[in-house]
Amino acid sequence: MSAFGLDKITKLFQIIKVNGGIRASLYKLYRFDDLKDGKLVGQDDFGNKYYENPRYFFGRSRWVEYAPQFNMDYDGSQVPAEWFGWLHYKTDLIPTQDKDRPKYKWMLPHTENLSGTTGQYVPYSTTRPKVEPWIPKSSKV
Amino acid sequence: MFRQPLSRALSLPVLGSPTRVARVCTSARSMQVQSEGKPQPEKVEVFIDDKPVYVLPGTTVLQAAAQIGIEIPRFCYHERLAVAGNCRMCLVEVEKSPKPIAACAMPVMKGMRIKTNSDLTKKAREGIMEFLLVNHPLDCPICDQGGECDLQDQSMAFGSDRSRFTDIHFSGKRAVEDKDIGPLIKTIMTRCIHCTRCIRFASEVAGIDDLGTTGRGNDMQVGTYVEKLFLSELSGNIIDLCPVGALTSKPYSFVARPWETRRIESVDVMDAVGSNIIVTTRTNEVLRILPKTNEEINEEWLADKSRFACDGLKRQRLVTPMMKSCSGELEPVEWEDAICAAAAAIQNCPPDSLVAVAGELADAESMVALKDLVNRMGSEHVYTEHIFPLQGSGIDLRAAYLLNTKIANVEEADFILLIGTNVRYEAPILNARIRKAYVHNETEIALVGPEVNLSYNYMHCGTSPSIVQEFASGQSSHPVYQKMMKAKRPMVIIGADQLKGPEGMSMLATAQQLAYNLEISLSDKNWEAALDIGYKPGASDALQANPKVVYLLGADAGYIDRNMLPKDCCVIYQGHHGDSGAEMADIVLPGAAYTEKRATYVNTEGRAQQTLPAVTPPGRARVDWKIIRALSEVMGQTLPYDDLDEMRMRMCQISPTLVSYGETDTNSFMPEVIQLSCNYQKPLSCELDVEMKKLSDYFMTDPISRASPTMAKCVQAVHKQETNPY
Repeated sequence: MSAFGLDKITKLFQIIKVNGGIRASLYKLYRFDDLKDGKLVGQDDFGNKYYENPRYFFGRSRWVEYAPQFNMDYDGSQVPAEWFGWLHYKTDLIPTQDKDRPKYKWMLPHTENLSGTTGQYVPYSTTRPKVEPWIPKSSKV
Repeated sequence: MFRQPLSRALSLPVLGSPTRVARVCTSARSMQVQSEGKPQPEKVEVFIDDKPVYVLPGTTVLQAAAQIGIEIPRFCYHERLAVAGNCRMCLVEVEKSPKPIAACAMPVMKGMRIKTNSDLTKKAREGIMEFLLVNHPLDCPICDQGGECDLQDQSMAFGSDRSRFTDIHFSGKRAVEDKDIGPLIKTIMTRCIHCTRCIRFASEVAGIDDLGTTGRGNDMQVGTYVEKLFLSELSGNIIDLCPVGALTSKPYSFVARPWETRRIESVDVMDAVGSNIIVTTRTNEVLRILPKTNEEINEEWLADKSRFACDGLKRQRLVTPMMKSCSGELEPVEWEDAICAAAAAIQNCPPDSLVAVAGELADAESMVALKDLVNRMGSEHVYTEHIFPLQGSGIDLRAAYLLNTKIANVEEADFILLIGTNVRYEAPILNARIRKAYVHNETEIALVGPEVNLSYNYMHCGTSPSIVQEFASGQSSHPVYQKMMKAKRPMVIIGADQLKGPEGMSMLATAQQLAYNLEISLSDKNWEAALDIGYKPGASDALQANPKVVYLLGADAGYIDRNMLPKDCCVIYQGHHGDSGAEMADIVLPGAAYTEKRATYVNTEGRAQQTLPAVTPPGRARVDWKIIRALSEVMGQTLPYDDLDEMRMRMCQISPTLVSYGETDTNSFMPEVIQLSCNYQKPLSCELDVEMKKLSDYFMTDPISRASPTMAKCVQAVHKQETNPY
């Protein structure tokens, strides 16, 4: 069977099945340009799902499927710090399994990179404006 | 290599030399006088580098060389100042002379053979340069003059290629303490090479003998003897005159290098003279203003307000349209909203209740556009802020309100009568001309009005205008009148301030009667353009007649008060500075200042000149005439000009003089003016008074200079000087 490559076709149908049928698979392919089967290892606060399948080679065996609310506006900065290590093979323990991770009260919830949006950080200007505008006298003061 | 063009040395006669010929005059009368003079002496032949040149006797070697295009290096020599001959840089070899001679001070002699490039000349120059550099600090990298320094340039061209200076470890270089001579001029006296140009300028042109030298030889110092500020309305010119970095501009210190900046030739609007200027800019910012040579107006001088008030262009600016909100506060709005509100206000206004007032800094383009717009709405109420009597010829004849004699011809006058004017602060450049006439032509000057310091001696005839009437009647035994009658080219200058009161017309008629040929009226800023266009002087009557809409075009002089106007009156202010006009406005339209637009200004002689845009208007400000054009389109009364050329065509229709740039006509309607006004002579009882009496009154007079921190410092400095015992 494998001699004719039929196992590949079988695998394809299996992947489509795992991903929830033809329509769902096409949607995933459209969103992520990739269609894989794998074991769901966990989910973060945003709803991003983390998968693992050792059948794929190292480097592609762990991946994230971004939560539906991000739609097509997903990017790497939406992966929170606690999942970053697992996703990049720094550790094999997912956040819930790792007891040694520090947890402090002051730790803020993760925020994605806001550059290019209205929420971006803009430093105040240190140069004086070239022209000082006239400010009308206010009758209230 | 030289900062001054060569042609200047050719055209200018040496001051004080016996051959000094009078400048060619435009008026027929002075031509006549000149031709009556003694015949021109025969020219002598001299040889410069074996090239023959014919020059008038008394010409200096330096000028003779300049005639055939040979420039001799110099530091102390300046065309407009007396010859000092102390820098020795202009040493040249003369055949049969045992030692080199100073070209700037040596008159030519027949058959003289001058060598400007011989070994002896070169050696002399190198030696002088070496001596100068021994006592000059090597601080060019931190010197503000760097890049525009005569010493730097000439040491490259004529200096030695190596230094013999090894003394630095032994006794060091000469060092001189810096002087504090005011908020405008920074002194680094160690750099001084003792050319004495600043001293000569102060005593000859500015008329203040404050600067001088102390000590001899290596200990010589230029200074004010006692600790004193050098306060003059022309003080900035010594910065330009200084060939090295000893005197530099304080507001401009460490700001920019000359090669980083752009220079745009423009026209000054801070006084009525219309001096030509060069606006220096970098990264859309006006850095400094320098004079541009124009023999007919400002020569190469510039008054301090024109030069240093440019930092006022960066403060108190209107950068966005504003409208009064329901709470009565001016708040920033979009252009569309402001224009629509202004258009609605003007459209809903009955024609007779629409009044436009143009201020002194308004340009001719915007004034034409505004007048066209107001006229289209059916109103004739366009006014200037200043007052001029409307009886007699009024403003119908240009001759009545211009300085008809022209600024350059002031030098030719042999008697000048000033009536109620402090020329020194109203028009410093004109006063410099009068002083030039006083110094070099022995012109006699008399003044009727408050006794002020004009920087030259004059005969004071009291403050009562009745003496003018006495002169005008032709029967006076007053010595001043006798002198005036004997004078061939007398001149009368009357201050515009004197024409404001109820007796203004009588005053004007009397002065015209007296001056039969030369009636001159000295006035403020761009007033002439407004009158040429057809603005009527004095808005007070129209403003008291319950106007519904008042359109202020840069009217900031404070003649108009919100309390004069009815409560429901809508005030639209268009201008570039937030001053009294913007404060009382309901709608503010931000315009451009004179450095930000190509605009026409007419000076007191009636000479139209245009400014060129050096920087862009700040924020959302726009060029003034375009604002009015846009407003007219929103109102459905589109004015028939879309670009500047069409605008200028319209101006040409109104008056061709408005677009004949750089030229000024000779007015020939003076007899008619006098005829029309002769019936208005009435006894005068008022006392003459002028607004600007002291130097501290001079610095802050318009929205730009009022916004300038440098000008504020000047006022403080003058007050400080007043407490100085010296």
